[in-house]
Amino acid sequence: MNKVNIACIIDDDPIFIFGAKRMMEISNFCNSFMIFKNGHEAITKLKTKILEGLDIPEIILLDINMPIMDGWEFLEEFSKIEFHKKITIYIVSSSIDPVDIRRAKRYENVSNYLIKPISVNALKNILKEI
Amino acid sequence: MINKNESSLFNFIQEHAAIGTWEYDIKLATLQWSSETKKIHDVSPDYKPDVDSGLSFYKAGQDRDTITQLFTDCINKHANFDTELQIVTATGHDKWVRSIGMPIIENNKCIKVQGLFQDIDEKTKITKTLALKEQHLRKTFESALVGMAIIDLKGNWIDINQSLCNTFGYTKEEFKKYSLKELTHPEDIKIGYKSMIDMINGNLEDFEAEKRYIGKNGQTISAIIYTSIIRDDDGKPLHIVAQINDRTQIKKSNSEVVQLLETTEYQNKRLLNFAQIVSHNLRSHYSNLDMLLDILKIDRPESTKNEIFPLIKEAVTHLGETLENLNEVATINLKKDLKTESLNLLDHFNKALSSISALIIESKTTLIVDIDKTLSVKAIPAYLDSILLNFLTNAIRYKKQNEPAKIEIKTETEDNFVILIIKDYGQGIDLKKHSKKLFGMYKTFHKHEESRGLGLFITKNQVEAIGGKIKVESTVNEYTTFYTYLKKHE
Repeated sequence: MNKVNIACIIDDDPIFIFGAKRMMEISNFCNSFMIFKNGHEAITKLKTKILEGLDIPEIILLDINMPIMDGWEFLEEFSKIEFHKKITIYIVSSSIDPVDIRRAKRYENVSNYLIKPISVNALKNILKEI
Repeated sequence: MINKNESSLFNFIQEHAAIGTWEYDIKLATLQWSSETKKIHDVSPDYKPDVDSGLSFYKAGQDRDTITQLFTDCINKHANFDTELQIVTATGHDKWVRSIGMPIIENNKCIKVQGLFQDIDEKTKITKTLALKEQHLRKTFESALVGMAIIDLKGNWIDINQSLCNTFGYTKEEFKKYSLKELTHPEDIKIGYKSMIDMINGNLEDFEAEKRYIGKNGQTISAIIYTSIIRDDDGKPLHIVAQINDRTQIKKSNSEVVQLLETTEYQNKRLLNFAQIVSHNLRSHYSNLDMLLDILKIDRPESTKNEIFPLIKEAVTHLGETLENLNEVATINLKKDLKTESLNLLDHFNKALSSISALIIESKTTLIVDIDKTLSVKAIPAYLDSILLNFLTNAIRYKKQNEPAKIEIKTETEDNFVILIIKDYGQGIDLKKHSKKLFGMYKTFHKHEESRGLGLFITKNQVEAIGGKIKVESTVNEYTTFYTYLKKHE
């Protein structure tokens, strides 16, 4: 089972961030975290990191409903950027609306749609997939 | 004495005018009838009438009583008479006649009565028929539910009916004080004016228009008017007939319907918002709670070893399920254009069955399945699966407490429906008590720990959304049978 070097969480909910980080620690998911509070912050800082030649995450857990720039808008912007390595994106949302789930499937960059709450098992499955 | 020429003229007149003469000589007590009079009575030319037989030709009852009285008065009171009565002729025909009598007085004493006798049968019958027709027309006009008016070419009322007065709230007398123009809504006075001129000039026979009027209490009356012109045989306009159909109520109902539709659409939008709130916002709080409890269990196992923690965990799990159900209900109600497809019923039944195979084995449930494998229904796959699963799990869940569940599944067809019949020999439902709320939201009928209540509500909504219906039969402690009607795929 591979361990992820950097895992990125893009979510505006501090409780989810706290929980997800702890779950990742428990499941020995990654070496370090990168946390962004919305899509805009994420896209800006990721761009900067690429420019500065810094490490970028291998995996992104992306929320949909966020202020300033939501998950969908983030995906649009994200697809315009060229990366030197593969980044796997998982949408992690509390929405069980089939419209959202169908929409997520239309993005090539999106590997899967996970419905909150996430569990240690779900994280272990992700590790198996990548 | 009349000469011969006069006599033949007299006969000519008698014959062609169908007028006969008669004369009664009181002294001699003889009654003379002219040949025309005899003809009118349908008697032979040599017939010899007398007073009694003469009177007896009149129809028994009112006609005969009237003529007897008039005849007596003529003799005694010297009064002329001129009356129209019915006789029954010698050949048994009813005939209208005009009988005229005049006393001949000598020394203040009546010595003779002379009279004319005219066949007016045809004329009278026509008049009476016309009168009857006129009466019918009048009654029709008067009692018509549509307001009607006959107007002369200058716009004056010739006649109006009661319905029209009712529409406006006036009595006939009050109504006639106003002109049509005065009763018309000021903004609508010009409507139909040109058509009216065209009609009078012979260029138009009738026209229809929407026009508003003002009633007695100042209320606006929305009406559709149908106007036509009546002409004489030469095409000269005589008068105008107008029907004024009060549509105020219909208009009002229409606007109520439109308003209701708007409200419904608004409510639908709100429901959609609500579904999104449930789906996104509420669920995120639930998922956080659930996640935190998981972390707590891993990080602080000692804090979960009490009787409260499992209860909190259970409550949070139930909260999640409830939110999921609510979301499902909201989305079913929102879907407008449902795209159904042809689905094989047995295939989908087997699919549902395999997903609960563990439950069936564990609960030692006996299943007797007899589904016609050729049957396909029109449904949405997710709905059909959910419907089948719900009925099956319900049947297992509400089994009799001390014995395993036994379920019979079969199909029938009726018109354009496939009926899926699922009978369980379980606890049954008291339909007398519960039939009205059986499919209601959050209703349960058994004290079963897993009773949710939303299941049947969702199932019913799904069945109805794809054009089906559900019927139920049940006896407590014996059985429950659900008949699910699904649209057959031809």
